[in-house]
Amino acid sequence: MIPTLDDAHATIRRGLLITALALAGVGAVIVMALWMTPTEVRQGLAQKIFYLHAPSAWAGLLAFSLTGITGGLYLWLRDPRLDLFSEASAEVGLVFGVIVLTTGPIWGKPIWGTWWTWDARLTLTLFLFFLFVGYMALRNALSDPAERARFSAVVGILGLLLVPFVHLSVYMFRTLHPQPVLLKPSAPSMDPRMLRTLLTSVGVFTLLYIGFVTTRYGLSLRREARGVADGD
Amino acid sequence: MGIETPDNGSYMVAAYVVVCVVVVGYALSLWRRSRQ
Repeated sequence: MIPTLDDAHATIRRGLLITALALAGVGAVIVMALWMTPTEVRQGLAQKIFYLHAPSAWAGLLAFSLTGITGGLYLWLRDPRLDLFSEASAEVGLVFGVIVLTTGPIWGKPIWGTWWTWDARLTLTLFLFFLFVGYMALRNALSDPAERARFSAVVGILGLLLVPFVHLSVYMFRTLHPQPVLLKPSAPSMDPRMLRTLLTSVGVFTLLYIGFVTTRYGLSLRREARGVADGD
Repeated sequence: MGIETPDNGSYMVAAYVVVCVVVVGYALSLWRRSRQ
């Protein structure tokens, strides 16, 4: 069960390699979005924020979902590696959350005429972000590893329960936020070139999540292998 | 009469810069932590 330093270093190296590939992919997505995708007539260039905003939201929700799922698995199996993965995924989810919560208002200002509105999608996304800030604060506040893992798993599961509401909020409540163009019952409703860029970006941000979380998980494995109580 | 496309490229540039700063910044943070 206890990882060796060699295992941890191998995981870190693998994660950094995937991250480097994904960062190159982000560069490719930016080139595709700026020069190979048409400008939306009504929204202008600001619409191209979509190609980074929506995939970041996807990666963030994936990260928070896996935090809750692995937290639940930890409560069942009591494998500390599941708790370490939860910790890694929550931190990475917050990184994508920062992107979503900054690019959203930057897109909203020219299109809606306001940086922020307290509608369901935006408010629930902000609550989810704060919940996982609390998750990280809770982890830092508890020194006993078993207690920390148990309590944070519960918070992670509560976050997981919020994820479907974030996704479905555009159907459940009146909102300014656009409805999903990919994750919906009917076929995607976009220009094929826009759809190609979006799908590429979703793939790249998923890879970026994998790279980030693998590296961060490796750092936690190394910390455990070194027998350090907390901090990297 | 065609639709006039709004001139809002500066918002796009700002958002793209934010994304690059955050993802590259976090990647560098992970890399620095891996070296400790």
